[in-house]
Amino acid sequence: MRRARPMLGTYVTIEAHGLAEPALERAIDAAFKAVGRVHRLMSFHDPESDLSRLNRRAAWEPVAVDCWTATVMRRAQTIFNATGGLFDCAVGCELMQRGVLPPEELDHVVEGSFSAVRFLPQNRIMFATRIAIDLGGIAKGFSVDRAIAVLRGHGVREAIINAGGDIRVIGDKAHPIHIRCPDDSGRPMPAGLLQNGAIATSSASTTISRRAAPASGTARNKNAYSIVAPTCLLADALTKVLVQTGDVSSELFARFGAVALITRSDATNAMAA
Amino acid sequence: MRWTPLLAAPAAITLIAPASANVYLTIEQAQRAIFPGASFTPAGPAGVYRASSGGYVVIDRVLGKHEYIKYAVGITANGTVRGIEILEYNESYGYEVREASWRAQFVGKSAASTLQLNADIKNISGATLSSKHITDGVRRVLAMYESSLKGR
Repeated sequence: MRRARPMLGTYVTIEAHGLAEPALERAIDAAFKAVGRVHRLMSFHDPESDLSRLNRRAAWEPVAVDCWTATVMRRAQTIFNATGGLFDCAVGCELMQRGVLPPEELDHVVEGSFSAVRFLPQNRIMFATRIAIDLGGIAKGFSVDRAIAVLRGHGVREAIINAGGDIRVIGDKAHPIHIRCPDDSGRPMPAGLLQNGAIATSSASTTISRRAAPASGTARNKNAYSIVAPTCLLADALTKVLVQTGDVSSELFARFGAVALITRSDATNAMAA
Repeated sequence: MRWTPLLAAPAAITLIAPASANVYLTIEQAQRAIFPGASFTPAGPAGVYRASSGGYVVIDRVLGKHEYIKYAVGITANGTVRGIEILEYNESYGYEVREASWRAQFVGKSAASTLQLNADIKNISGATLSSKHITDGVRRVLAMYESSLKGR
């Protein structure tokens, strides 16, 4: 059974097998609800979200957030530290300057990095400087992981979820995966077979670089930067690192149990580490 | 986790992906998913159905950047969105829309075809596609509800 809904500002598809139809329907509906919960908590656009409250207030006082938001923030910190700051969710300021994110009520925000985030007891968070966080590079992957966990809780053993290009599969089946380069004519290229894992893809135009001279060059770069990883959160987050380094064979990815590949828009070949 | 990468396809071979058509729900299934237990009657305008429990299901279509989407919006008796379900999602590429002589076939054999990857382009990883078109579509449907369905 396959269902699709517009969520997270994109299209989310959930496919699950192996149970009777009513049970599958319930499982898929519950999985969509988990995605919806992540959206409500971590949307930059929704003024009521945990994330918006953090961005408005955490520079001045501790802000209590949902345990899911705290989890994603902690994972963001772990990956920020492990990648020497290349994966940095404190890019709200830059994204607002580019006009990608709305600046409402965020006049106070200045550029900074995730190192300003302080974790306090009881899921409270403070910022040491006036940064703004955008979880766009990690929350989508997290929502896919949560939705997979919900399906598993309902007894589903065979499933595939695609949230706007962030994909995770469980079960024995190897799923063919295609990769679409940004812009281009939109033609997807075959990349490989994925079993019990996740893949996410990003582009130069949607990544704020933390390097003086990013390997990906300008926003005119139309390559697709993909990471295959055990979880979708990891895959999602590490694509931002790959865009900046352009180095598929970096031992960084192996340390996370991940594989990197770059699909070039001007050729049919993908190179894999 | 197991990843089996494809070997690079020979550069001379051009892979042309067929449009991928994904059908998720029939109109009847979407109606039941949005208003469980209700029965439905056509409500006048094409693609508009009234639920016996109150409210409407409106079937609409939008054309996005790479995709052609048929979806259903459920509107409660109060005029709020109860649910949105995608019925059909067709990957349609720019050149396919432009060229009537579109051939939904692959050319040649490649490493890809040996893995039967070309059979079904279903799982596409890429930089996130915006669902803005559907958001605009839902807004249009709600305006239509306000002007011609509300209170009927």
